[in-house]
Amino acid sequence: MDARVVEELRAVLGRDGVLAERARRTPYEADGLAFARCLPELVLLPRDTRETAAALRVLAAHGIPVVPRGAGTGLSGGATPVEGGVVIGTARMRRILALDADNRLARVQAGVVNADLGRAAARHGLFYAPDPSSQKACTIGGNVGENSSGPHGFRHGSTTRHVLGLVLVTPEGDVLDLSRPEHDPHGYDLVGLFVGSEGLLGIATEITVALLPLPPLVETMLALFRDLDSACDAVSDLVAARLEPTAIEVLDQLTIEAVEASVLAAGYPKDAAAVLLLESEGSEAEVASTLGAIEPLLRARGAFEVRRARDELERARLWAGRKGAYGAMGRVAPDLYVCDAVVPRTRLAEIVRVTIAICQARGLRVANVFHAGDGNLHPNIPYDRRDAGQLARVLEAGDAILDAVLAVGGSLTGEHGVGLEKIGAMGRAFSPDDLDAQCRVRDAWDPARRMNPGKLLPVHACRETHTRDPRGGAR
Amino acid sequence: MDARELVDYAASLDCIHCGLCLNTCPTYLLTGVESSSPRGRIHLMRSVAEDELQADADYAEELDFCLLCRHCESVCPSGVRFGALMEHARSALEPVRERGPLARLARRAGFDLVLRDRSALRAAATVGRVAQRLGLVRLAARIGGQRARGLADAPAIPPAAERARLPERTPAAGTRRSTALLLEGCVMPELLGATNRATLRVLAACGFEVHVAREHVCCGSLHAHNGEASGARALARETLEACDARSDEGGTPLPLVVNSAGCGSHLKELAPAFAGQPDLERRARALSARTLDLSEALTRGPGAEGLAALLARVPTPARSVRAAWDDPCHLLHGQHIAREPRAILGRIPGLELVPMELAESCCGSAGIYSLLRPADARRVLEPKLAALAASGAEILVTANPGCQLQWAAGVRRAGLAVRVLHLAEVLDEFVVSVARPATAS
Ligand SMILES: Cc1cc2nc3c(=O)[nH]c(=O)nc-3n(C[C@H](O)[C@H](O)[C@H](O)COP(=O)(O)OP(=O)(O)OC[C@H]3O[C@@H](n4cnc5c(N)ncnc54)[C@H](O)[C@@H]3O)c2cc1C
Ligand code: SF4
Ligand code: SF4
Repeated sequence: MDARVVEELRAVLGRDGVLAERARRTPYEADGLAFARCLPELVLLPRDTRETAAALRVLAAHGIPVVPRGAGTGLSGGATPVEGGVVIGTARMRRILALDADNRLARVQAGVVNADLGRAAARHGLFYAPDPSSQKACTIGGNVGENSSGPHGFRHGSTTRHVLGLVLVTPEGDVLDLSRPEHDPHGYDLVGLFVGSEGLLGIATEITVALLPLPPLVETMLALFRDLDSACDAVSDLVAARLEPTAIEVLDQLTIEAVEASVLAAGYPKDAAAVLLLESEGSEAEVASTLGAIEPLLRARGAFEVRRARDELERARLWAGRKGAYGAMGRVAPDLYVCDAVVPRTRLAEIVRVTIAICQARGLRVANVFHAGDGNLHPNIPYDRRDAGQLARVLEAGDAILDAVLAVGGSLTGEHGVGLEKIGAMGRAFSPDDLDAQCRVRDAWDPARRMNPGKLLPVHACRETHTRDPRGGAR
Repeated sequence: MDARELVDYAASLDCIHCGLCLNTCPTYLLTGVESSSPRGRIHLMRSVAEDELQADADYAEELDFCLLCRHCESVCPSGVRFGALMEHARSALEPVRERGPLARLARRAGFDLVLRDRSALRAAATVGRVAQRLGLVRLAARIGGQRARGLADAPAIPPAAERARLPERTPAAGTRRSTALLLEGCVMPELLGATNRATLRVLAACGFEVHVAREHVCCGSLHAHNGEASGARALARETLEACDARSDEGGTPLPLVVNSAGCGSHLKELAPAFAGQPDLERRARALSARTLDLSEALTRGPGAEGLAALLARVPTPARSVRAAWDDPCHLLHGQHIAREPRAILGRIPGLELVPMELAESCCGSAGIYSLLRPADARRVLEPKLAALAASGAEILVTANPGCQLQWAAGVRRAGLAVRVLHLAEVLDEFVVSVARPATAS
């Protein structure tokens, strides 16, 4: 990187805000998509909106590509650096700026960790609903970037339902405040557009989110099955019967073995081929009636044991185990590839079977742990990125799974985003016209295409569509 | 040197980079820099082993910046043994790293001379005390500038009378329930003799006949944590010899009671130092198995009975005192001990145990870290000082000498009206010294 640029950036971010040494840049070369890596030219760590804007202005002036990054837990390569580009991380923007318990909202800096916001809200009897399994690490900014969800998304919806406003910095370094209430009723819903934009439209620096009152009662139930199919079918039944627990998660045997071998061992039974983890919240009567109605359905599908967490401690441990499942897979292999596809919930068992067959045919192991209530599958494929042949088979399996999902009318991503990982499949999921429309939105924000280039929107698709621009104005 | 030898490559592959450890790491929370996080440090180690990264000064700096508090290890679902990884990486780097002549000299003097020889330790303490009294230390710190800041932060060395050694054998007060060996420690007698004597009185009052291996100097934990693997091995050997030579009437080796969490954690993981020497490995494992933190010794078997009998003789005072327990990293993350000390404190009449936020995170003492990197050590303590103030505690209780000194300095700086005591001192003051005499038995 040009020494002049580094100096300009140091002038606006201070010495600690610009990481130029190789050793300090190296750990940023990948996010949760471990096999994709690229060393960033610099890593910038602004402390607030003003510094972010100043840095982006310098970068715009020099035409340098930018990749936003939260905690780097993303699984689709959204935060993988790009050739010749810099990373702007939000790890020094960790302040909760305001927590208004009466109006049930919080204004936070983008780097605030999801679980930290949850803890702060709990002191006021409130909670922040989106709860990705990575919530102890991932940031609210990253959640906005990916429109993340989590186990409780079944009831509460994903991030976009809980974001009330944003302060963001455009690729040119202009500050756009979309958080003042008067913006809400007028014009386009730019906040809605930004959530899930995977770092292509700018950098969110401050986020206003809605908080919900903690329910009076929460109960967690475990149902054990002798096979994965029955567990999936039970979920289809629950959904069809319009029962509304807050979360419906499936964990298979390989997952349970890994979790139970870890510090997060929660007492999941190792003899079950699949476990359904269900939760219900509300008044005592509501919880009793929901869980009471669910139990016979589970038994009818062959659950051989249905039990409830005895107390808050056991409940917390069951969830910690579920949320640590990804990390626990580190006992199986050094890397983990997590597919993320959504299928109609009437076809869960069928598609899960297909994914297992796809992996087995390629000599790969697969663990299934997923947000079943949402039809959001996560076949987890352990692998070792040093084994090129194996990696190729993993990617091939991922592709085959996506094809199977698209064939039954499913979607490319439930919550992890497209990023680098699924960019090749965009052309299969969307028509050229669809892609063209999306490219134009992007170009309206970032005509130079410097923000997170090569992610989400296939560049060749943009080029193709531009040559077909009815106005003939190819850029 | 082969890059692969610089790190424990196989162990580095255990990290699946899930990030669950990030929010526990004090150095990451301070800086927001990924290479100063557990996930980042493992990434660096792996990159070095894979020849993607030179083991340069920046790499060394990230290893040094780590507190080795092992909080990350406690939460890692993948079972990464971070402490062992870091000790290995530091040791392997030590012979090839560049240090200034003065730094090298100080290091060799500290690790090879002072910490390995009782008379050298005592002489150093005497010289140190004189220098502190004469104000020479402050002067040196001023002249030495930033790099000598640690000198000014170093704990005050108590007068000679307080630095008296423990006796070879102390009988149980009243009925003898058991016999134990107490680890006196290397710097403990010089800096925290009062804590050692309190430990002795508590053990005796709980029915222990207490032995001390007076010829023993140091268990080697500071060496192991600071990249001095061979020194650590030699000291581990000496420790084995000293401890194995003490047994009860029946010939069973005595349990080893430790009042320093750092030493206890090291002693419980001694076997790897003797890899490839099956006989020594077996003896090391046996010593680890009979090593007990003071809080363990007082919550199980005869020690628990002794403590219960003693507590029964303590009158309830008119006014209660609020105390907060701060988990020493090498107790909580190194030995997974959390319940025992709280259970003990919770049973002391007149002591109200109040919760303190961040109790499970590092105070910045981290062995000799607070001497080597005083500014960082202070920054690490800052949020915990705020948590202490918010807890309303009048006493802060810990169970590790380094933490005791670090907290005492911090509390003084912050001007808080809080006493900093070792668990043994709390028991000595609120239990042993106020218990009614045992009815003649
Ligand atoms: C163990 C584990 C479990 C997971 N479980 C879930 C789950 O249950 N549900 C779920 O939805 N996801 C899950 N994920 C995926 C991941 O945690 C989420 O996508 C999360 O939101 C990413 O947050 P982050 O802070 O790590 O962001 P990063 O990974 O750093 O970035 C994610 C994307 O957002 C962009 N971005 C980051 N910050 C900003 C900003 N301030 N402004 C604009 N763009 C930004 C980045 O460019 C990137 O495209 C899991 C991941 C792991 C490792
Ligand atoms: S928790 Fe363990 S596996 Fe996960 S990033 Fe940290 S060290 Fe690696
Ligand atoms: S040992 Fe402590 S300081 Fe070192 S990486 Fe782990 S959490 Fe951070």
